[in-house]
Amino acid sequence: MNKLSMNDKSRWLVPLLICIFCALTYWQTTQFETVPEILKRGTQPSDFPQMVLVLIAALAMLILFKDRPKPMMKLEPKVLKTMGLLVGFTLLAEIDLFLGLGIFAASLSYLWGEKRIIALLFAGVVVPILIFFFFDFIFEIRFPKGILTNIWYG
Amino acid sequence: MDDALLGLMALSDPYLLLLLVFATLGGVLIGALPGLNATTGVALLLPFTITMQPIPAIAVLTTIYCAATFAGAITAILINTPGTSASATTCLDGYPMAQRGEAGRALGMAAVSSTIGGIISVICLMLAAPMLSRAAYYFAPPEYFALTLFGLSMLASVGEGTPVKNIISGAFGVLLATVGIDLLTSIDRFTFGFNELSEGIGFVPVMIGVFGISELLVQAGQLDIVRKQVIMKKIKLPSKADYKKVWKTILRSSGIGTFIGILPAEGATVASMIGYNEAKRWSKTPEDFGKGAIEGIAGSEAANNAATGGAMVPTLALGIPGSPTAAVILAGMMVHGLRPGPTMFTEQAEFAFAIFWSMMLVNILFFFIGLYGAKFFARITFIPTQILWPVVFIFSIVGAYALDQSMFDVWIAVGFGFIGFMMRRHGYSVVPMAIGLILGGMLETRFGQSMVMLDEQWWMMVTRPLTAFFLILTALALFGPMVWSKLFTQRDPMKSSGE
Repeated sequence: MNKLSMNDKSRWLVPLLICIFCALTYWQTTQFETVPEILKRGTQPSDFPQMVLVLIAALAMLILFKDRPKPMMKLEPKVLKTMGLLVGFTLLAEIDLFLGLGIFAASLSYLWGEKRIIALLFAGVVVPILIFFFFDFIFEIRFPKGILTNIWYG
Repeated sequence: MDDALLGLMALSDPYLLLLLVFATLGGVLIGALPGLNATTGVALLLPFTITMQPIPAIAVLTTIYCAATFAGAITAILINTPGTSASATTCLDGYPMAQRGEAGRALGMAAVSSTIGGIISVICLMLAAPMLSRAAYYFAPPEYFALTLFGLSMLASVGEGTPVKNIISGAFGVLLATVGIDLLTSIDRFTFGFNELSEGIGFVPVMIGVFGISELLVQAGQLDIVRKQVIMKKIKLPSKADYKKVWKTILRSSGIGTFIGILPAEGATVASMIGYNEAKRWSKTPEDFGKGAIEGIAGSEAANNAATGGAMVPTLALGIPGSPTAAVILAGMMVHGLRPGPTMFTEQAEFAFAIFWSMMLVNILFFFIGLYGAKFFARITFIPTQILWPVVFIFSIVGAYALDQSMFDVWIAVGFGFIGFMMRRHGYSVVPMAIGLILGGMLETRFGQSMVMLDEQWWMMVTRPLTAFFLILTALALFGPMVWSKLFTQRDPMKSSGE
């Protein structure tokens, strides 16, 4: 079960992180090249992002002072593990996209409580293979080369 | 008139008709599955349309939109779980009716009122969109800038966040739209040396990330939800007495839904809430609402389906999305090289009318599919989450890759899945961000053009009557609710005394 907690820390932490993000991004906009006055057509490339960043920072400050703490669900272990699996997928996909997809799908299914081998094989093997050939034949999509896809592409 | 006929002719293609039948089935399936909604469904299936011609591609997306909006009612009535947020109010009376053995009657009323609401809104769309686009044909950049700003200001009230958080989310989307080469000056911004970012962040991977992958993480925290289905007897259409009781409600809610849909960014969820409330307010038996009143289902369902047609009016005529799902469809149009806006009805009128007719057709199709397939679709909702979501994830990733055949887009989708999840967790709706990303480019371009036109004197905008009008509307949308609630709180003696 999810547990509710009065997470007072996130009340100021999130707006503060937003303000830090805005400050860093604003600095980044100061590094943009500028256009000579004579060639300028209305605005400099940094003008518009800077206006948006100032707006975001101002609103984050408003939240910082006005927002009331609200009870928040604690992250379930399964959510954290699912996030871990997503990170694992991004690493595996570097080796082979469909290897990553298959392992991720089967692991996710198992993590979420599926114990039947047939169901795990369906999610981790049958579906990725079907989707691969569906996109390959119907949409003529060429997937990135990898350990498994090379078997088909040669 | 010729354009309307040409649009209708385009629909006579058997391939397209078959495609629309499948899209309706797919849309009903998506709408019936809790966790998946019209916006997520359209975002996930958008990459499947890449090899299609523009008419079939956009017709498929709008069909999924209409069908999924309707299908949310099936699970709302049978398992007390709205398939889409737009059907949340349908649960209030649909499930009590189902519990007392009237599931068939409730589903029948949902199908009839959805179909009537949908058809009325498509007729309004056919009449209003060309008129609106003719008026907008005379808009100059300052008017467009103010109109886009007004569209963005409406984001304050969409999604589950507070108005301030929604505006932050929308502004973040606008900021994301500035990534890539600046169109006015050809200077790189926020590309960090990645060539893939030169053309900006792709709409589709971001949509797949924030709507699809973030929902997977949300579902990970809801695995212990148990769903129970009410046994459904034979489906029967509403009786004459039912029609007599609800026809005014259906017409009223259809009007409300169409109007709410036309307002930029306001979608089916808001429409169904207002439709339901108005049905209760005008009812002779308001005490029955929440206990299984058939007027409640009619009020909610006619409004949410009417909103789909209404939402397409500003989307097609002005290029400003009328709802979150319409925003994804707008992104789809851009991907297919279409330019929604006033020129659409002069340069691509056949396309626009083909979309109108396809929406009309889908409203008739889902009436039959919804009525006779309700039992089957209700059973589909019992597909185990642990099988459904891994499959949805595979589709999401392959869809994100397929559009540009780029692994960079896969990373974008996964990254925005995390960002979307954290935003939602902290009360920042992802819908404004998605709409901000779509409208951001237009907003900046119009602002730049306005600056050139007004000789960099931005305050001159208020001297243009139409621009001033949209700016006033923007201010009202942003500050009106705040001022109103303050005035209302001060005058409410119950609240001021702390009771």
